[in-house]
Amino acid sequence: MANAISVETRHVGKSFGSVKALDDIDLRIGSGEFVALMGASGSGKTTLMNILSCLDTASSGEVWLDGVNAATLDEEGRREFRARHIGLVFQQFHLIPYLNALENVMLAQHYHSVTDETSARAALDKVGLGHRLDHLPSQLSGGEQQRVCIARAIVNQPPIIFADEPTGNLDEENENRVLEIFEKLHAQGHTIVMVTHNPLLGNRAGRIIHLQYGRIVEGVSVVAATKEIPVRAIARQVPASNASTMAMIESVAP
Amino acid sequence: MIFRMLRQSWLRNPRRKILAMTTVFLAASLLSALMLVSIDIGDQMAREMKSYGANILMLPAEQAALPSLGDGEDNPLAGQSSLDESELPNIMDIFWRNNITGFAPLLNGEIKLDGNHAVKIIGTFFDKRLTVPDEDDYHTGQKIISPFWHIQGEWPDDEKDEILAGSALARAQGWQAGRELTVDGMPVRITGILTSGAEEEDMLIVPLRLAQRWLDKPGKIQAVRVSALTVPENDLSKRALRDPDALDAETYDLWYCTAYVTSIAHQLEEAVSGSIARPIWQVAASEGAIIEKIQSLLIMATCAALLAAAMGVASLMTSALMERSREIGLMKALGAHYWQISLLFYAEAILGSLAGGMLGCLAGWGLARVIGWQLFNAPLKFSWIVTPCVLLLSVFIAMLGTWFPARRIARLYPAEVLHGRA
Repeated sequence: MANAISVETRHVGKSFGSVKALDDIDLRIGSGEFVALMGASGSGKTTLMNILSCLDTASSGEVWLDGVNAATLDEEGRREFRARHIGLVFQQFHLIPYLNALENVMLAQHYHSVTDETSARAALDKVGLGHRLDHLPSQLSGGEQQRVCIARAIVNQPPIIFADEPTGNLDEENENRVLEIFEKLHAQGHTIVMVTHNPLLGNRAGRIIHLQYGRIVEGVSVVAATKEIPVRAIARQVPASNASTMAMIESVAP
Repeated sequence: MIFRMLRQSWLRNPRRKILAMTTVFLAASLLSALMLVSIDIGDQMAREMKSYGANILMLPAEQAALPSLGDGEDNPLAGQSSLDESELPNIMDIFWRNNITGFAPLLNGEIKLDGNHAVKIIGTFFDKRLTVPDEDDYHTGQKIISPFWHIQGEWPDDEKDEILAGSALARAQGWQAGRELTVDGMPVRITGILTSGAEEEDMLIVPLRLAQRWLDKPGKIQAVRVSALTVPENDLSKRALRDPDALDAETYDLWYCTAYVTSIAHQLEEAVSGSIARPIWQVAASEGAIIEKIQSLLIMATCAALLAAAMGVASLMTSALMERSREIGLMKALGAHYWQISLLFYAEAILGSLAGGMLGCLAGWGLARVIGWQLFNAPLKFSWIVTPCVLLLSVFIAMLGTWFPARRIARLYPAEVLHGRA
């Protein structure tokens, strides 16, 4: 089971110059929850995720992570918190190109404490890549790279995992595999916060938090939350092989 | 893990590192060659400068008040005091004996030629074989210490009754090489006509043993010209020149064990009893000044090479960091300390600089040999001290070149670089 970490924000705001990216964000995420942060492009979901994962700081308000007010942490404090309590999964995978799958996973251990090849192998086994340990990122498919990224995120057993559009670059098959891994992790007690603008992915989370123009919107449907996105444009980006996703998008398109 | 990362980074992403290594290699080659030249140029130039003639004149102590040779009426050879020829081998027994390139005794006087007119003579060594400590076949004399002497004909043999005639005297007397003269009832042959640009042109230059016989001064000499390889003078040598006894023990040892013209002169005085040794400052000072200026020039060129290499490495490292900003952002996002990331980049740079530095040392040695042959017709000596110095400088170049871009690592914001906004 995961630690009793919870995420709570109080009146969090973030401005870039005169532009307000986030405005008065109040949210609570319980320990062991699987939450999807949804919204259109520019709604502030990635900005919020950066603040929650200690990659960025809020301009105002408080961010409580596992009882710690992250707003009071300096850069070193945030670094330490990230290394110990947070697993990160990125849309673009961000694997070190000259390290193989196993070494990429061990990198997270190295910055956390000490490297342990056995547990790194176990993490890769967990995401179904036990047979691809020695492969470089360039020798792996997109889905496999994302699974290495997930293995790297979970290898230190962080209580909370933040995933930013984790399936944004994947086909349907790999999208499903990644989501299944998240669901398993959730079942094991990890708190997962996933940023997505894909309604199908959002629906697989236990709870959806909608963002619109930098604010949390209550009682908005999945489709409404993403209504600013030209749905057909999304459909064009979905791989042709992902027929069911395309059909669903077509069905909700205005 | 850091070693694993370094190994994989070098093996799988070598392009920029090889470029940086090449930059360091070129700089190290230049540095190594310049340092080898700087170290050996003192000796090489000093040897070249020996064409200016001897730089130390030894006289009997009684004549200490008299100025140096060749000053007309104040000529010390005009005095009656003398030194013992038998003590000459002691010159090659001083601490700096290996820096003594040669010496030649002098005995001055006047003889009656063919019973008619008086002629000035100077007795000396031409190319005399001498028994000295630790040398089996040691030769010394004017041939070695006066390379500027131009002989029309041949050098005389010290063991035969052969002499040189000064060009002015030969012209006045109508003598040519090969002419036989009779001195004191003894036939001698002129083997060559000497042009030196000095007072010897009005004299007969004869083997010392003949001069001693004709002047009836067996075993005596009046002066010794010594040619020694020296280092440029500095404040210490000047202080020692004023009064060596005023130096404290440590400073005295430092001065004594440095090849200053003053310390060599001091040791010569200790070696030959009743003598005083004087630097011929016109020669010694100009040698020192020229060598010092050349060394300064080389140091400046070395510094310029260092700076250029550091800028080259900095430029390469900056572009490498830009290229790898996402990698750095990721490391930061995963919780890497600033020093852990910097360590990786510094270690990469240092490894490259050591490899480049080692290769540069070898190439620099080759370059120095070429320079030696081109400038001095002799290879420059390889000094092992250059290798650690060049390696240290190579590492310094790499660290300096990495220091500027490494500061950018601290400013990289993971959230921005990971989303491609920086």
